[in-house]
Amino acid sequence: MDFSVLTDQFASLTIDGVALGFIYVLIALGYTMVYGVLRLINFANSEVFMLGSFATILVATQVFNKTLESDPLTGFPLVYTMLAMLLGAMIVSGLISVLIEIVAYRRLRSRTSNRLTSLISAIGVSIFLAEGVRILTSSAPMGTPRILEKNTLFTVFGADVRVDTFLVIIFAIILLIILDTFVTKTRLGKGIRAVSMDYDTSRLMGINLNKIISTTFLIGGLGTGAASFFYITVYEQTRFSIGFELGLAAFTAAVLGGIGNIRGAFAGGIALGLIEMYSSAVFGTQWRSITAFVILVLVLLFKPNGIFGESLQQARV
Amino acid sequence: MKKNKVVAVATAVAFAASTVVAFAPAAQAADVLKIAYQGPLTGPEAQTGTDGIRGVKLALKYYNATKPKVKVELFNGGDDQGDDAQGGTVGAGIAADPAVVGVLTAYSGPTIAALPSYKAAGIAIVSPSATRASLTDPASKDYGSPVFHRIVSNDDLQGPALARVATNGVKDPTVFVVDDQSSYSVGLTKFVKASLGTAYEAGDSAAKGAVSDFSATIAKIKKVKANVVIYTGYYADGAKFLKQLRDKGYKGVYAGGDGVLNSAFPKLAGKKQAEGARLTAPTVPLEVASPKIAADFKKEFGADPGVYSTEAFDATNIFLQAIKAGKTTRADILAYINASSFSYKNTAGVTLKFQPSGDLSGSGLMNQFVVKNGVIKINGKA
Repeated sequence: MDFSVLTDQFASLTIDGVALGFIYVLIALGYTMVYGVLRLINFANSEVFMLGSFATILVATQVFNKTLESDPLTGFPLVYTMLAMLLGAMIVSGLISVLIEIVAYRRLRSRTSNRLTSLISAIGVSIFLAEGVRILTSSAPMGTPRILEKNTLFTVFGADVRVDTFLVIIFAIILLIILDTFVTKTRLGKGIRAVSMDYDTSRLMGINLNKIISTTFLIGGLGTGAASFFYITVYEQTRFSIGFELGLAAFTAAVLGGIGNIRGAFAGGIALGLIEMYSSAVFGTQWRSITAFVILVLVLLFKPNGIFGESLQQARV
Repeated sequence: MKKNKVVAVATAVAFAASTVVAFAPAAQAADVLKIAYQGPLTGPEAQTGTDGIRGVKLALKYYNATKPKVKVELFNGGDDQGDDAQGGTVGAGIAADPAVVGVLTAYSGPTIAALPSYKAAGIAIVSPSATRASLTDPASKDYGSPVFHRIVSNDDLQGPALARVATNGVKDPTVFVVDDQSSYSVGLTKFVKASLGTAYEAGDSAAKGAVSDFSATIAKIKKVKANVVIYTGYYADGAKFLKQLRDKGYKGVYAGGDGVLNSAFPKLAGKKQAEGARLTAPTVPLEVASPKIAADFKKEFGADPGVYSTEAFDATNIFLQAIKAGKTTRADILAYINASSFSYKNTAGVTLKFQPSGDLSGSGLMNQFVVKNGVIKINGKA
C-alpha cells in the first residue's frame, strides 16, 4: 500500500478518473435504459460498444482516408471530422442495438414471459458479435489515426487537463442533459417511463410497446456509440475483446448507481472511474477490479438497489 | 417415425462409409508424415502464431517442392490460443495422430501443459519461441528433457540483456518496471529486476488485455521520477501504454522484451511516441537472416515476416533434416536430434547444437532493436 502516489498525484488521478468515469456512464446507459424498461440485462451492449469503436476508426480511415501516420487536424477539418466520427459511431451503435432487440429479444418476448431465455439470447448475441469481429480482424488490435492533437489546455492543482479529456467531460455532460430532458419532458420519454413503471397497464393505455422498446434500445445504443467515440479519442486503440473489459465495468457502474436509473448510471460511472484510479495508485493496477468489486458488494449489502436505486415499485428510468 | 428410422440408418451408413474413406488413405500412406505447430492461431496473441506457422508452411513448401520420397505435411489443428489451459488438450490431440513426428510449440505456458502428452508419445519438440527458463531447468517440474528443445535463448539471458539495453547511456537510471501478469511477463520481470540492482525503483502490474487506462501507472512513474520504463508484456498493451506515457509528457527511455517486438507495435503506439523505443529479443528478423527467403515469404503470404518467423522456419528444417537423413519414426527423429553428433546450420548461417537440457550450446543469442521512424531496426547484439 502506498498512499504517497495518491497524495502526490491526486488532481491528476481525479481528472483521469472522472474522464474514464464518463465513458462508463455513457456505456452504462445501454444497460440501464433497457433494464428499466424490460428488466433485462442487455449483455450484448458491450458488443455494441465494441462495434462502435471500430466504426469510429473506420470513419476516420475509410471516409476521410486518414492513416496511422497522418498528422492531427486543426481548425474546421478537425471539427467536421470529429463530428462525423461521433455521428458514425452513434448511428452504427444505435442501429445495431435496435437490430439486436428485433432479432434476439422481440420474438422471445412475445412468445415467453421467461426473462432467462432473453438473457441467454443476449449472451449468445454478445458471443456471436465478438467472435465475428475476431475472425474479421484476425484478433489483431486496430489503432486509430490521431485526429486531435493531445495538447494541454490548462493546469489545475498541478495536473494537466488535456484537450481530449476535457472534450469527453464536456460532451458527456451535454449528452446526459439532453437525455435527461428527453426522458422527463417529451411524449416518447414519458412513454418510456410509463412502460418501465408498469408494462401491462401502459399497454392497456394504448402505448405502442414495440415502438417504446425500440426507442429505448436506440437511445442506449446512441449513448454507447458516443462512449466508443470518446474511448477511441482518448485511448486510440480497439480490439474485438474490448467490449468485455469496458462492458463489464459499465455494467458494474450501472449496478453500483442503481440499475434502471439514468442518474444512478451517472453516479455509478463517475464513482467507479475514481475508485479504479485511486485504488490502482494505492494498491497497484492489478488490484483495480478487486477493489471495485469489494466496494460494489459493500454498497449492495447496505443499499441492495445501488446508490440511487429506488424500490422496485417506483419509477425506474 | 418409419421415415425417421430410414434417415437414421442412411445417415449411419453414410457416416460409416465416410469414416472408412477417411481412414483408408491414412492406413496405407506411411510416406506422408506430419509436423505440428502448437501456438496461438486465434485469440489475442494470434499474430505471434500466424507469424510462426507461416515460417513452418514456407519451410514445408520448399521441402515438398523438391519432390522428396517422404512427403511432409502440416498437422491441421494445434491452436492453443496461447492459453495454458488449452495447451493440454491441444497437445493430446496432436500426440494422438500417429503421422505426427515432430512438434513446434510457440508459448511456454501451453508447452508445459502439453509436455506430458509429448513425453508419453516420445515426440520431439523444437520450439521457436518458448523462452521460459524452467523448461530446460533439470531442477524444475517443467523440465522438458528429453523431448523438449528450443532454438531461442531463454529469459535468464533476456532479463539481464533487457536491463542492460534499457539503462544503456542513461545517467543515474531510475527504473520503473511494468509487467502484465502473464507467466512470461512475471518470469522476465524477475530476471530484469535481479540485474537492475539498485537502479530498480518501483513497479506496477496491469493485467494483459484488461487495462485501457494506464493513468494510475503513469502517475506512479511521475511520482518516483523514473527516467527508464521497462514493459515486460506483449505488444498490444505495450503500445497503448507507451502512447499514454508519451502523451502525458514522459521523456525518458522506454524498453521492452520480445513480447513487444512486433511489426504492429510502432504503428499502434504512434510514430512519434514509439521513436527510440528499445527492445530485446533472441530472434533474428527474416529480412536480416535471408533477404531472399524474406521475399519468398512476402510473396507467399502477402505479408512481412513477423517475430519468430525465422525461428519457426529453422525449427521445421531441423525436422526435415532428420527426415532427409532417413529418420521417419518419432523415436528415430528424437534420437537423431538428441544425438551428440547432431548439428544444424540455420538461416543466418550459424551452426546450432543442443545441450542435453534442450537449450542451445554456446552462450546464446540476444539481439537489441530500436524503433526508428516507425520501423523496428536491429541494433546489434544486446
